Amino acid sequence: MSESIRKREHDPLIVGRIRFLAWFSLAVFVLLVGRVYWLQVAQYDKYQTLSENNRLRIRTIRAPRGLILDRKGRPIAETQASFDLICSPVDVNDLAGELRLLDEIVSFDPEELDVIAEKIRAAKKSSPFSSINVMRDLTYEQVSVVEYNREALPGFSILIEAKRSYPYGEAFAHVLGYVGEVSDTDLEKSADGSLELGDIIGKYGLEQLADNVLRGVNGGRRVEVDAAGRDRRLVDEVPPQTGGTLYTTLDIDIQKAAFEAIGDRAGAVIAMSPKTGDVYAFVSAPGFDPNVFSRGIRKAEWQALATDTRNPMQNKGLQGTYAPGSTVKPFIAMAALESGIQGPKESAVCNGSYRLGNRTFRCWKPKGHGSIDMYRAITQSCDVYFYQLGRKLGPGPVAKVERGAGLGTITGIDLPREKKGLVPDEEWKMTARKEKWFDYESVLLGIGQGLIHVTPLEMLEGYATLGSGGRVMRPRVVTKTVRMDGGVSEHRPEKLRDLGWKAENAEFIRHALWGVVNDFGTAGIAKMPDIAVGGKTGTAQVVQMKGERVKTDDLPYNLRDHAWFVAIAPVDDPQIAVVAMLEHGGHGGSAAAPIVKAVLQEFFRQSPPGAPDNAAAAGKTAPSGKPPVKR
Amino acid sequence: MHGTRGKMSRLDWPLFLIALLLCGIGLINVYSGTRIYNTPGLPLFARQLVWIGMGIFVFFLFYLSGDGFVEQIANLFFYFILACLALVLLAGSARMGAQRWIAIGGFNFQPSEFAKIALVLVFSRFFADRYGYAGIGFVEMLPAVGIALVPFALVALQPDLGTAGIFLIILAGMMVVAGVRLRVLLSLTALAALAVPALWFVMKDYQKQRVLTFLDPERDPLGAGYHVIQSQIAVGSGGFLGKGYLHGTQGSLRFLPEQHTDFAFAVFAEEWGFLGAIVLLALFGLLVYRGFHLAARSQDRFASFVCGGMTVYFLAHIAINLAMVCGLFPVVGIPLPFVSYGGSSMMTNMMALGIIANVARTRYTFQGQGGSETVGG
Repeated sequence: MSESIRKREHDPLIVGRIRFLAWFSLAVFVLLVGRVYWLQVAQYDKYQTLSENNRLRIRTIRAPRGLILDRKGRPIAETQASFDLICSPVDVNDLAGELRLLDEIVSFDPEELDVIAEKIRAAKKSSPFSSINVMRDLTYEQVSVVEYNREALPGFSILIEAKRSYPYGEAFAHVLGYVGEVSDTDLEKSADGSLELGDIIGKYGLEQLADNVLRGVNGGRRVEVDAAGRDRRLVDEVPPQTGGTLYTTLDIDIQKAAFEAIGDRAGAVIAMSPKTGDVYAFVSAPGFDPNVFSRGIRKAEWQALATDTRNPMQNKGLQGTYAPGSTVKPFIAMAALESGIQGPKESAVCNGSYRLGNRTFRCWKPKGHGSIDMYRAITQSCDVYFYQLGRKLGPGPVAKVERGAGLGTITGIDLPREKKGLVPDEEWKMTARKEKWFDYESVLLGIGQGLIHVTPLEMLEGYATLGSGGRVMRPRVVTKTVRMDGGVSEHRPEKLRDLGWKAENAEFIRHALWGVVNDFGTAGIAKMPDIAVGGKTGTAQVVQMKGERVKTDDLPYNLRDHAWFVAIAPVDDPQIAVVAMLEHGGHGGSAAAPIVKAVLQEFFRQSPPGAPDNAAAAGKTAPSGKPPVKR
Repeated sequence: MHGTRGKMSRLDWPLFLIALLLCGIGLINVYSGTRIYNTPGLPLFARQLVWIGMGIFVFFLFYLSGDGFVEQIANLFFYFILACLALVLLAGSARMGAQRWIAIGGFNFQPSEFAKIALVLVFSRFFADRYGYAGIGFVEMLPAVGIALVPFALVALQPDLGTAGIFLIILAGMMVVAGVRLRVLLSLTALAALAVPALWFVMKDYQKQRVLTFLDPERDPLGAGYHVIQSQIAVGSGGFLGKGYLHGTQGSLRFLPEQHTDFAFAVFAEEWGFLGAIVLLALFGLLVYRGFHLAARSQDRFASFVCGGMTVYFLAHIAINLAMVCGLFPVVGIPLPFVSYGGSSMMTNMMALGIIANVARTRYTFQGQGGSETVGG
């Protein structure tokens, strides 16, 4: 190759060719700019929408809730796998046909079938790629039949989810509560935005109270969906975190004993330690099966619960208030002793009735008790003695002792929605009713009738205070929470106040309570061979009957008296206090006492007297009274 | 001749700076497109930084090489690359399926990338040697087709039709630059038009799919059409101002295939919008313009042809890649110069740029200096 030919001045041909290519490039760039303009400016809205719909879809994996354990570490609320029937609307070919087939397998409620069908039809238009929970908690048989018919049910599939389960069902219903799907209001209230639609949260009881401990953190599968909205592949998966653990003071065996003892009657049974406030058992009947709520309660089931006149959704121990009847008598006696208004040896004469002005107040024993001192008046539950004592004391001293011991006050138990009873006095009556106090009200106060009404829990708190000699402990259900992140918070027994009762007064009352059970009193039925049980019966009138008292069994159910029995044992150093209250249950002695006895038997079967107390944390023991004085 | 300092003073800075700007844009874009990946070892953007560094080194390696060096090695380089392509093919057939690179100490060396450069150099020499005042005739031109067919065949067998197609575009571009007679060009164009249907029968099924899908992406929105639809959504949803850096959803949610390599522009356009896209296109436009400018300015035919050919190479990559991302062209594996992630393409582009700068320096005589430079013996 010769340089002379190769090297030359600008060759017009080559320069022309290059110029052509340059123009050609310009055209290419103009075309590209035009295309980009078209996509980004002209068609922006279209692609913007497409990209909005084009996100990864997050499939939530529900986190299992944490365990709730009894005092011995046995689970009373746990998690089980449940099988839910879900529908992917886009894949449904023949909705009516598929639902018909499903109906044969799982048998929907007729009215629900229409709701589901409508839901799916709507979703098919609005969000075809969503998944709709059609039915929760299928049985194994149903699951296998659905799987067997897969071909015929293209739009439906089985989803395995972690579901809250309660191994003891109704026995713990009112204390554990139940869980359910978040409602719109829950979502609005969720300040931190930790809740999302479809989440399961505690709605009642401990589940509600400790929801932030028990609730785990949902995991998720990120599924890549494409322009057509179908799942393409699993991008990644974040496993859910199980919620924290709740340690409680409850005892499965004692709870079961209480639950079985109350049977199908309505009322409440609660047991707790006077020393620590630990609640061993907390039963309200009738209850409900919390597992039904975990599964997703059906309309009909909810209707049945909501319209039941015996109110199974109410925790009667915490929220029901009742006239205490004779169960207040030990407090009246204590008020007399503490105020020095009447000593234990001062007797009254009972001839079956007590007159005030032109009104007559009857004793339950028409013949009367004759001359009777304070001890006998308690063991025999003489009404006349306490009529006169109530009138003598007046509302002030009575209210002081009763409120101090916990009656008519919020006990502060760690369960949600506690209600307060009422212990009336002059001041209350003036503000609430704009009326002054009448003497007859003092008379009625003596036997726990009239304006006074208390919750069974308050009554139990009162007796625990009698048992501990005036130390009021806050009832405690939760001893410890261990959060997901390992954070532990201990809930120690808490002394609310000390009433400063004289030891001999407290001992006298305890002795009288022992007499009620063991010394020919009204509750001999609760006597136990090797445990000194002390307690008090109560029969609270629902209606004031004119004239003669009618036998409660002859009345219609909703007019019958409420039956109370409250006990402490052993009386010289009470380890346990138990209350049983039966709505319209008749006489405390005959109806409620056996229930308390069953609970006591279970408690002392586990920890016989003399054995070290198994309470998680014993507070300072009360000054031990001398063994009950035999008369 | 000239010392390094003298050479540096004669570097065509606009060309080099445009390339560096593009690298910078590419780097931040790679970061955005790949931060969701958990790659073992260095993250991809850090690796890209290494590639850029190495690329700059390669650029200067070629830029600073002596006068005439490029021309001397042209043929040798070409044969070497052909050998590599053959080797890749053999290794690939042993490994069932597509094999495009040779691993050299952790670096995946893709000879087909470098083959593009080698072709430009070989054609430049070939046409420079055959150049006549009346242009180049059909018979004189014919061997060039043969030269192109060897790498074309080797790469098409890989199979990598995209790269093989680039070879043909380079051949066509070089024919235009080198003054092959217009009549010949037009006839060849007609012939090519007739050959397209024939091509259909040699294409593999998936390649046919790609073409069909390109013609109608919606016919297979989950398969072959997926990429096309997704990348258009990415670009389109960027709007005028973009979603903001690191705020693109299409890319970060992994809807985009190859979002850091072939679809880098989709990530960029989504985040920077039409304005950003215009800036990027303008930079590419300037790069191409500068390349042609240097080609036209060179007083030496070889240099003109090299600059023209390399610029055609850049233009082909830019145009095809952007057209593909915007849904104007079937999906082919062609990266966007300087912007897409990748070692081989970065090296190739920097090498091409270095060669342009080199020949523009050594084969260029300043106006008014008169005289000429000869290759020093």
